[in-house]
Parts: sequence; structure tokens; C-alpha cells
Amino acid sequence: MSYAFYPGCVSRGGCPELYPSAVKVAGRLGLGLEELTDVGCNGAGVLSRAVSDPINARTFAKAEARGLTQLMTICSTCTGVMGGANLRLKEAPAYRERINREFLAEERLAYQGSVDVKHLLWLLVEDYGLDRLRAEVRRPLKGLRVSPFYGCYIRRPDGILEGKPARKRYLEMVIEALGAEVTDFGGKGKCCGFPVLTANEPNSMAMVAAHTGEAKSKGAECMVTPCPLCHLNLDGGQPRAAKMKGTAIDLPILHLPQLIGLALGFSAEELHLKRHIVPTRQVAEKVSLLT
Amino acid sequence: MPDHTVVVVGGGVAGIRAALAARAQGADVALVSKVHPLRSHSCTSQGGLNAALAPDDSWETHAQDTVAGGDFLGDQDAVETLAREAPDAVLELDRWGAPFNRDERGRLALRRLAGANRARACYADDLTGHVVLQVLHEQLLAARVPAYVEWVVTSLLMDDGACRGVVALELATGTLHAITARAVVLATGGFGRVYEPTGASLGLTGDGLALAYRAGAVLMDMEMVQYHPTALTGTGALLTEALLGEGALLVTGGGERVMAEAAPRLGERAPRDLLSRSIASRLKAGEAVLLDARPIGGARLGRSFGVTRHLVKAVAGLDLAKEPVPVEPVPHRTMGGVRVDLHGATGLPGLFAAGGCAATGVHGANRLGGNSLLEALVFGRRAGEAAARAAAAAPTGQGASSRLADEERALEALTARGGGPDAAAAIRQALTRTMREQVGLFREAAGLAEATRTIVGLQERHRGLGVTASGRRWNSALVSHLELGHLLEVARVVAAAALARQESRGVHARRDFPERDDTGWLRHTLASFTPDGPKLDAQPVVITRWPPGRRAY
Amino acid sequence: MELIFKVYRHDPTAGTKPALESYPVSLPDGATVLDGLLQIRDRHDGGLAFRAACGRGFCGECTLRINRSGKLACITRVAQVAKDGEVTVEPVRNITVLKDLVYDVDELLWQKIAWVEPWLRPATAQPDGGYVIPDAELEPIRKAMSCYYCGLCDEGCSVIPFDRRFSGPAALTKAFRVVFDPRDGAARERLKRLGEPRGMWDCVHCYEANEHCPRGIDPTDRIFDLRDKAVELGVKSGTANPQVARHYDSFAASVRQSGWLDEGRLALETWGLGRLGELLPMAWRALRRGKLPVPYLHRKRPGAEWIRRIFDKVEKRS
Ligand SMILES: Cc1cc2nc3c(=O)[nH]c(=O)nc-3n(C[C@H](O)[C@H](O)[C@H](O)COP(=O)(O)OP(=O)(O)OC[C@H]3O[C@@H](n4cnc5c(N)ncnc54)[C@H](O)[C@@H]3O)c2cc1C
Ligand code: SF4
Repeated sequence: MSYAFYPGCVSRGGCPELYPSAVKVAGRLGLGLEELTDVGCNGAGVLSRAVSDPINARTFAKAEARGLTQLMTICSTCTGVMGGANLRLKEAPAYRERINREFLAEERLAYQGSVDVKHLLWLLVEDYGLDRLRAEVRRPLKGLRVSPFYGCYIRRPDGILEGKPARKRYLEMVIEALGAEVTDFGGKGKCCGFPVLTANEPNSMAMVAAHTGEAKSKGAECMVTPCPLCHLNLDGGQPRAAKMKGTAIDLPILHLPQLIGLALGFSAEELHLKRHIVPTRQVAEKVSLLT
Repeated sequence: MPDHTVVVVGGGVAGIRAALAARAQGADVALVSKVHPLRSHSCTSQGGLNAALAPDDSWETHAQDTVAGGDFLGDQDAVETLAREAPDAVLELDRWGAPFNRDERGRLALRRLAGANRARACYADDLTGHVVLQVLHEQLLAARVPAYVEWVVTSLLMDDGACRGVVALELATGTLHAITARAVVLATGGFGRVYEPTGASLGLTGDGLALAYRAGAVLMDMEMVQYHPTALTGTGALLTEALLGEGALLVTGGGERVMAEAAPRLGERAPRDLLSRSIASRLKAGEAVLLDARPIGGARLGRSFGVTRHLVKAVAGLDLAKEPVPVEPVPHRTMGGVRVDLHGATGLPGLFAAGGCAATGVHGANRLGGNSLLEALVFGRRAGEAAARAAAAAPTGQGASSRLADEERALEALTARGGGPDAAAAIRQALTRTMREQVGLFREAAGLAEATRTIVGLQERHRGLGVTASGRRWNSALVSHLELGHLLEVARVVAAAALARQESRGVHARRDFPERDDTGWLRHTLASFTPDGPKLDAQPVVITRWPPGRRAY
Repeated sequence: MELIFKVYRHDPTAGTKPALESYPVSLPDGATVLDGLLQIRDRHDGGLAFRAACGRGFCGECTLRINRSGKLACITRVAQVAKDGEVTVEPVRNITVLKDLVYDVDELLWQKIAWVEPWLRPATAQPDGGYVIPDAELEPIRKAMSCYYCGLCDEGCSVIPFDRRFSGPAALTKAFRVVFDPRDGAARERLKRLGEPRGMWDCVHCYEANEHCPRGIDPTDRIFDLRDKAVELGVKSGTANPQVARHYDSFAASVRQSGWLDEGRLALETWGLGRLGELLPMAWRALRRGKLPVPYLHRKRPGAEWIRRIFDKVEKRS
């Protein structure tokens, strides 16, 4: 099956390590990706829905125009925002028609409502299959203690689960499929604080400190997240958060494709682990000792 | 010691409306409530507010329906006031932002409620009271009326026969305060808790009635207790009568229409007293009675009765849209209260009352759905205005601090005496059982006389009781003790008045006197406090244009 | 049913420690948790402090944590929540407990609701016979007003545990009720107020509120509605947090210009050079690792022109 690939902005901006890692992993797994290059930022929950809904309708229409109905993202926020927009557009044909008419018609585009938005995480579990993934693992991450961190938008609101409550456990399932150990903790489904980094930095940093601190105290050696915005805060903000709290945390935060990549046998360099703010050396070393 | 010009006791629809009215007159008014205003019982009312708003409706027909619904015991001057002022009361809420439902043309939509000969109630889905209360509370915030929230009024500050404030217990600290004023408006709601099970909120313990009664005010029509016809069996959860108004049917287990005989014309839209008695008779005969809401249609049920549907799901696991649900009548609204005139004046200088705790005489022997919230609005406003006017000319009361000290000593004595939680609970349970069994939907002399004796005995036991729970902060045992005292006081009057009225009228159904008797009993029952029990009296019904006739539905 | 209720008891003024006390209760099958609490008052301790009012799921007064999840005691059936014959009842989290199960709702809710100044300020005089309004415009208002201030959205909120002063989803839902009332004429002033710190921009839109609201009001979406309205009316922040508006404008400008987000530019324009200087050690680290894209050196995406046109049209419409 071919997927329309929507990489999002951050995977090449603030988290430039994500995009190449995702592309490499997808290549190794043989996911046929067709990247959408001529589409816009989905609004990230910042832009008002008045602009972002048409922009997203346009993205979906572009995928349809290429004969694709499955759209893959590598970001929880992209998934949530686009998924939410998609739901509105699908559920209310009149609304979709209005947007088609008002915004897309002049570009000779029209969204028919056939697209499904899927995070790489869902795609792996639901389409690709964990057995197949297990079979591709070259270097089981034995003994690596990993805490999952989802990012709000692939868990809530309810509609995003599309009737599959197990989506709230997929990260753990993937971690285990890669041979690593899950270090569970209460904050895994909570907010990382990124959305209020601008409006209320102290709150944002307090959230980072709470979640990374909790995972660390439960014994995690690293945290994995399918959301680059969470990554920006949990990794990029961690030193500041630690300082504000007056403790050291030093919990490496990995992007989901990086963790998968390690298990598939890619090196730390290939996955750009050095580009992180919180050093990932210990994780890289531990993994390099595994065969 | 807090001092205001006017103090309103009660944060429900009547209380807030009164406070806003006093404020609009420029009075320094404060509100005291034992629960947060938004938790007042008013928030549970669902159905709607009657007002002759339709072009082909008139206040006269509204009044006529009300008089007939009350089985001609209503005071027609009060009914006229209610019906004439209803449209303004509703439009005022529209101005304040109540999101009442609209018809296809965007005008206020009207629905049909029990006992009305046409659709006359404006409404907000099945949350009318909830929405009205919120809108009033918003205005209360806007007017910056100070509110003493979670303060329980324990007595009235009487000075030479005039009311000049209240004594109240602040729950959070346990401190007793005197709040002085030149006028007090009681808006403490009804006393539905003398029964159990009941649809009444836990706090509807007749506080205002008992306090006013002991202070010398007169209680009126206390025997008139209305049952809500359609409570979900065994739960006390009320299913709004708007369901019946919009097409739901009452059927027996065997599929027979329950109202076919008693109300061939209005059927399920007959007044509550008829509905309740018809259902009760079937239940008594061993049949099941079911409310079938399916004729309303799933879509409309979801939209306009969402909360009711959710509630039925939650407490009984049944779906109104899919299946008929079993119902039974439960005690609901009380018509009795502190007797007041058209301005809420009780006859004691400085003391006013409105809403569920007052008897304006509009409801007669049976309330129509959609008239209660309305009464709270119309007469709440009137009482607030009158209180502000009276206060402006009234002197400051004397002796508040010594009364406060007396009250403090009384509470201390209570907590010092001790007792057991089970003793208090046993008294309450005995009371509600007596009321249910002997002062219930059907009554007769022997049972009523026995009920009176029982209640007197319970009062005796209650007087000897203390409060075990120590500490005054949030001492629920202490509050329950005071409330139980009010319940007993009020229940005694209900039983006495019910025994006295030797006829059947409206909700008052005597097995030994099954007929209405206009020669002997076209009059209100009055009760005044004496240490030996209520002294009963009568007062003629005000009849202006609708002579008593037969009720035919 | 015979059960054990484990109830949180604490009097903070007595200097004792909080404890879960066990009480045996015996209840009929359909009984609710509130029935159980009332029975404890009747049989064991009349002084057990908790709040309850209507007892029928209308007023929202008896919100408690029942077996570790927020619920209304009066409509929670014991049979459905009991685990091994036990029911644990505690106050909600992140709030000052006053005594036993009574907590400071004034702090949690009432003050915040007053803060949003939720009274109508009509735009026009009422016509005879009442305002004429299509019902479809009032339906969302009724939905929002079906809120019964149970506080469950606030108790599930992601922000409140970190900052109790955050206005929270319940108060913001109340704000929605007036901002979107078709009769109201003060949206701009209201949104300015709601835009201040602790207001709507402090919401992390984590959608927890949607999950917790028993009335199906979807408070998170109501907050989004408020924000979108604020953007539409050009009130993108309060006065004390101008960076919020700068953030929005920069975000929008960047997407409008190039089709995607220029994060370097966003940081610079949101915080200004001064604040960036303060953050310099961090920024330097990010720059070195290639994580801080150099502002404005941001290539246009193909098709960016079409994105710009979408912005233009939306602006023209509002
Ligand atoms: C299920 C149900 C449905 C109903 N439906 C309708 C309907 O559709 N239409 C209609 O018109 N009516 C309806 N009613 C009736 C209506 O709700 C009441 O008549 C009305 O709410 C009474 O308002 P109130 O302000 O007098 O009292 P309440 O709302 O009962 O308020 C009483 C206030 O007094 C305070 N208080 C009491 N004692 C004290 C004290 N000692 N110290 C301090 N404060 C005290 C309480 O805290 C509370 O704030 C319904 C009632 C119920 C139960
Ligand atoms: S919005 Fe929902 S969860 Fe929040 S207080 Fe209101 S009813 Fe409760």
C-alpha cells in the first residue's frame, strides 16, 4: 500500500533529526511513502480553525488527487489537528462543500472525504503488524527501559481513537515489539506543556519537569514520543525545567522512529541522536553493546 | 456584626429575584443561603414557565386554567397578578440572556404542560429551572449583591413583633452571626423533605416556614401536598411532565391507557392531582404503570430531553427512546407556606416571604406545572420591592447581640448534651414513614389523628436529643438536628390541617370525604403557632370572576 | 448489599493527619454512593462532612473521587463502582480540603466564574415579544448552560495541578455562554479579559476536559471557539501577555508567506531579541545542534501561493 506522507514542519525545523530518521525507517520497513511537498502547515492548534480547516481540506484533496487515501503523519499534533479537521469535513458534507467551493475550487481541487489520517504508530500496529515489525528487528533493545509519552492529540478527544481504545497502548506494544522494556508512569498520556510555552512558560516547564522527573524516578533510561512538539519541550526544555525545579533530570527523549531505527540496526549517527539537547550517549552506548 | 437594609434568605429563583428587585430600589441588600445559589432546588425544575405570550392566548385564559387547576381554592386576585405579570417576567429573562427555545420563526417556543388548555410554557429543553437560576445568578453577580453562602439561618431577629434581621451559622467556621436589617425576605423553598422518597432536595426542610411560624406568622393551606405523577419507580427521580405534554403516554402493563377514563379530553395532559391518583389506583390494584416516551421520537428526545434521558440511563439503565419505563407518584410540591399578601408581606412588620416557602394563594389546592418558577419570579420581585420600601421607613432593631448570645447558648447546650446519630435518624425515618403512610396521596381521619399523635411524640423525643459530633466547623449533625426540628414543626401543621379539611379538593383526597364541599370548605386553612400545637383558623377564598365549577378534563 | 465505605476524614484545623476510615454500610441494590454517605451519617457519624443538594443529578454539588475517579455521588450506583465490596470516597484532587469531603469550591470554581463576568451585555434593545433568534444559534448556548458546575473538567485539567489560578474549562465554558450569545454586544471586551494570563491562552488544549465532562459539553472545544473568535476580532492576547499575540501573528505570517512554519522567526518575533538573549545559552545549544533554524532563511513551499490566498479569503470574510 502507498501512503501520502505528511512530514509536518517541525520534523525538518526544530527537530531536524526526525525527518531523516522517519524516512530511513519507512524505507527499511518497505512502507511506500509519497511525500506531499506542496501542502501547508496544518495550523498546529494555533491557527484558527477558520484558516486551518481549508488548509487541511486542501492537503486531503491533494492526496486524493494523487489517488491516495491513507495519509501518514509522524507527529501527534499533526495527527490530532488534521484528524479533527477531517472529522468535521467528513461528518458535515455541507461544510466540506462550502470549503471546496470557497477555497479549493479556484485551484481545481475538491476534497471528497475519502482520506484517513494515520500516525506512523497506528499504521505500524494496524496496517503493518507488530509481527512483521518484530521480524524486521535486527537488534532487539534488550534491557533498555523506555517510558512512553504519547502527546495529547493521539489520545484525545475520544473521536480520534476511531473506536479503537487500544490506541492508548500502542506505544507500549511497539516498545515491547522492539525488545525493550516499558517503564510505565502516570504522566504518559498527559500534556507536555508545549502549547503554553509562549503564554505561560513556568507552567510549561513545570509540566516538563513533572513528567520527565516521574519517568526517571520510575527507572526509565529514556523516553520515546511520537510527537516532535512534545520532543521540543521534553528535550529542549528539560535543562530549563530542571533548573527551575532545582534538580537534575537528564532523561534522553527519543523520537519514535529513532527508537525503531535503533532496533532495526541503524547507528546513532544515522538517526542523528547527537542533535538532541539532552545527551543520548548512554542510550547509544547501551544499544551499541547489544547485538 | 454585618448590617444591611434588606436581607434575603434563600438563593433560589425567588430569593435572587427578590434580591435583584431590592437592589434595583437602591437598597443595600444581602443574600444568605445554606447552599450555593446555583445548587438551590430551583435548578431541578425542568418543564417551563407559563405566560400568555401567544397572540391568541390571554392572561385571562392562563388565570382560568390556574383557578380550575387549583380546584377553585386559588385566590383570584393573586392568580390575576400572576397571569398578568407572567409575560413581563419571561421577557425580562429573555433580556438577561436566558436561551429559551425558539420556534421556526425565531420567537419564543411554547410547550404544553399538565392542566393547561393550550401550549403556554416557554422552556429551555429539560433544564428550564437550571437555566433560569443561572441567568438570575449572573445578574446577581452583575449587581454585586453580597452573598453569605453556606450560612444557615437558625432564627429570626424579632424586636417587638417586627423582624430586623437573622441569626445564621457559618458552616465553614462554625461561627454564629447576627445579620441585622430593616427587612427580611424569606425565600427558603418548600418542605418536601417531610416525605421520603421525594423529589425534593436535601435542604428543603421547611426552615423558613418553621422560623416564621414560631415568630408569629401564619401558615396557610398546609394540607395541600402535590404528588409528582411520574417518578421513575423506586428512585425518586422525576421525569418531567413535559414528556407527557409532548406526546408520551401512560399505559398499564396490559397496554391500557391509564388516563382514558379520568380525563377523556386532556388524557395525559390532565393536571397532576388527577394523573397521580389515576396512577396510584392502578398501582394499588397491582398493575404496573409505564411511561412510554417513544411517541416523542428519538431525535426530539435527544435534543430536548437529553438530561432526563441521561438520568434514566444512569439510575435505571433504561433508554427512554427505546422502551417504556415504570413510574409511580412521589410527593413533590407543597402548596402551603407562610401566608403573604400580593406584596409578599407576612403581616409581621419587616418580614416578607416568596417562592416555595410562601403561600400567595395562587395555586389553590393544586399547582399547575409551569406556575411555580413563575410564582417565584413574579412574587419574588414584588416581595423584594416591598421589602426595600418597608425597610426605608423602618427603624433599626434592638437587642441583636443578646439574641445572638441566647442562640449561642442554645447551640452549646445541644452539643454539650450529646446523643447518637441513630437516634436522630430514627426520628426522621419515623416521621417520613408516618407522612407517607398516613398523610399521603389518600387520607382519612383515623390515620391523620394518629399521625398527629406520632409527630407530637417525635417532637418530644427530638427536644431531648443532643448532637454528638464535636466541633462546630461543617458540623452536619448540628445542621441536621435543626432541620429535623423544622420538619417536625411543619409536619405537625400538615397533619392537623389535613385532618381538619373534611372534603376532597385538588391534591387533598380524603377517603372519608370523597367529594368537594364548596359550602363548608371553600376556604383556606390557616395555622398559628401555640406551645400546645397549631391553632387552626380559616380565611375565605378571594373570588373575582371565576365562580367555582366542575373540573372537567 | 453489604459493603465497606472507606471515607477520607480530615479536619485541617485539628492538627491531625488525613485518614481513610472504614464504615460498614448496607444498601438496597439500586443505591447510590450518596445513599451510602447519608447512611454513614445516620448510623455512624452524623458529623461526616460532605456536600450534596438535589440528590438527583441536577445540581452538580456532590462531585467526589469515587474509587479514584471523579464522579457525582448522587448518580453513581454503588453496584457499578464497588471493587471487592469496597468503595473509596475522597475529595477531588488539587484543591484545598476544608473538612472531610468538603473542599474549597470557591477557589476551584465560583471565584473563577465571577472573574469571567458572565452576565449579558445586550447589543440592542429587546423588541416587543422578545428577541427573535433562530433556535440554531441558541442551541450551543443551552448546551453550554447545561453545565452544572460539577468541576469534573477542572479536576481533570492538565494545567490546574500546576497552577490553581488558571481559570479552567468550567469558567471558560461559562464565558463561551456570553461571548456567543447572539444578544450580547461585548465580545471584544470579554475576549480581551479572557486573553489575560490565567485565561484562555493558558489552556493547553489537551482535551482532558472533553473526556471528563459528564454533560457532553466538550469544554476544550468551547475554549477553541473562544480563541478563534478572539483571532477573528483581532483580540489575540490580553495586555499582560502581548507575546501571545506576537506568537499568533508570527505563526500566521510565516505560514501565509511560505506555506509552513519558520520556527526561527517564530522564536525571534514572539520573544524579541531581548528575551532571546536571556534564553541565549539554550538558543546557542540549539543552534549548535542545528535545532534552531536560522530565521527568515526559509524557503517557500511549492503551492505556498494557494495557502496565502486562503488566508486572504478568511480575512476578507471576517
Ligand atoms: C423535579 C422538579 C421539577 C419542577 N418543575 C417545575 C417546572 O417545570 N416549572 C415550574 O414552574 N416549577 C417547577 N418545579 C417547582 C420549582 O422548582 C419550585 O417551586 C421553585 O424552584 C421554588 O423556588 P424557591 O426560590 O422558592 O426555592 P428553592 O429553589 O428551593 O431555594 C431555596 C433556597 O433557600 C435556601 N435556604 C433554605 N433554608 C435555608 C436556611 N435555613 N438558611 C439559609 N438558606 C436557606 C437554600 O439554600 C436555597 O438557596 C419543579 C420542582 C421539582 C422538584
Ligand atoms: S463543563 Fe462539564 S465537566 Fe465542566 S463543570 Fe460543567 S458539566 Fe462539569
